[in-house]
Amino acid sequence: MRQRKRPLKFLALATVVGLVALLAGYGAWFPSAQEPAYVFVDAWGEPGTGPGQFRDPTGIAVTDNEVFVSDARNARIQVFDHDGRFLRQFGAPGEGLGQLGRPMNLTISNDELYVADYWNDRIQVFSLEGKPLRTIGRSGQGPGELNAPGGVAVATNGDLYVVDFYNQRIQHLDPEGRFIEQWGTTGEVGIWAGEFNYPTDVALATDGTLYVADGYNDRVQVISAQGKFLHKWGGPFAMNIFGPFKGWFATTTSIAFGPQGSVFVSDFYNHRVQKFAPDGTFLSAFGEEGTGPGQFNYAIAAAVAPDGSVFVVDFGNHRIQKWRPHDSE
Amino acid sequence: MKKMFFKMMGVLGIWVLLSPFAMAAGVQYQVRVDGLACPYCAYGIEKQFKQIYGVEKIDIDLEKGIVFVDAADDVELSEDRVKTLINDSGFTYRSITREPR
Repeated sequence: MRQRKRPLKFLALATVVGLVALLAGYGAWFPSAQEPAYVFVDAWGEPGTGPGQFRDPTGIAVTDNEVFVSDARNARIQVFDHDGRFLRQFGAPGEGLGQLGRPMNLTISNDELYVADYWNDRIQVFSLEGKPLRTIGRSGQGPGELNAPGGVAVATNGDLYVVDFYNQRIQHLDPEGRFIEQWGTTGEVGIWAGEFNYPTDVALATDGTLYVADGYNDRVQVISAQGKFLHKWGGPFAMNIFGPFKGWFATTTSIAFGPQGSVFVSDFYNHRVQKFAPDGTFLSAFGEEGTGPGQFNYAIAAAVAPDGSVFVVDFGNHRIQKWRPHDSE
Repeated sequence: MKKMFFKMMGVLGIWVLLSPFAMAAGVQYQVRVDGLACPYCAYGIEKQFKQIYGVEKIDIDLEKGIVFVDAADDVELSEDRVKTLINDSGFTYRSITREPR
């Protein structure tokens, strides 16, 4: 009899533990919004090669009065005011100084524009007026070499954190491009903590914490200012499990901070932007698939202005969308 | 005279049949690939193809998942080579066709 009771007891215990885990998991894996949704304001752009037209817009950065957009197939950067009025453009196809080969994510630091120059395996730096200043990096797999950089973050001392897409790593370089350290194993995809699966973008918090859009792992990874892995989020266990639920991703393609330190992640295949607290707590999301106002055909990049407005690159619709927080005018 | 006429017609027929190939300036490969919506990988494929000698132009239809590669006549892209290239770019290779342009 005792022998018959034991399996029953075990089964009951396992069921209770399973239910508790399921309930705990439900809260963690299917979070509800902590903030009101963002409100669509405006959109501009259409397919083409003229001013204000795009062929594959892929990256974005903003100042307090201007919006910079990577216009990848047109091999140029276009600049607009916050209402979408075209101001200027720079860049041309090619490999020389000032020329671009598929510009991707953008970063502005110390009044300079840093462009991930994907085909040319380098970071190219421009003045905000569009004057080419310098390039950092060269093709390869060695230290300081790049294979399709997707994004870059710049520290206050000028150090660079470069997303090295096909080398499956993040490189920390000094302002002259000399190698300091890296995260991820060169050329090797991994799904565990500190490993990468085609990373696409990176953002640096004011305290030096590094946030990485780990693209095809469908997650965000966070690395401390001392270079240690801190935490990750995105779906169950944050290890390459994609989905359409809140807090989950289907390929992360850009990451940016808001003025209050919130983290905005472009959720490419889910056609939306998601907002998180720095610890990964889901706050809100906006956007859905489509071609109408407030709809995206692949949301590939986002940047947040000092006033909290969010500018989103609507890749497949060849346009830029402006959104504002619910409680702002 | 009759023989001569048939010879001439034969030569003419062969010329008509082959003229599209003779006039074609190069070839176009169409490579079917799974999962091509993401530009990061699409540009990676373009980057790899444009490094091949003789490749003149690459277009990608993201919606249909097709890579169009225009190349010189003497460029021979083997299926194995293309398969490796696509897989190295992070994609799944499906098929390849070769047609005169």
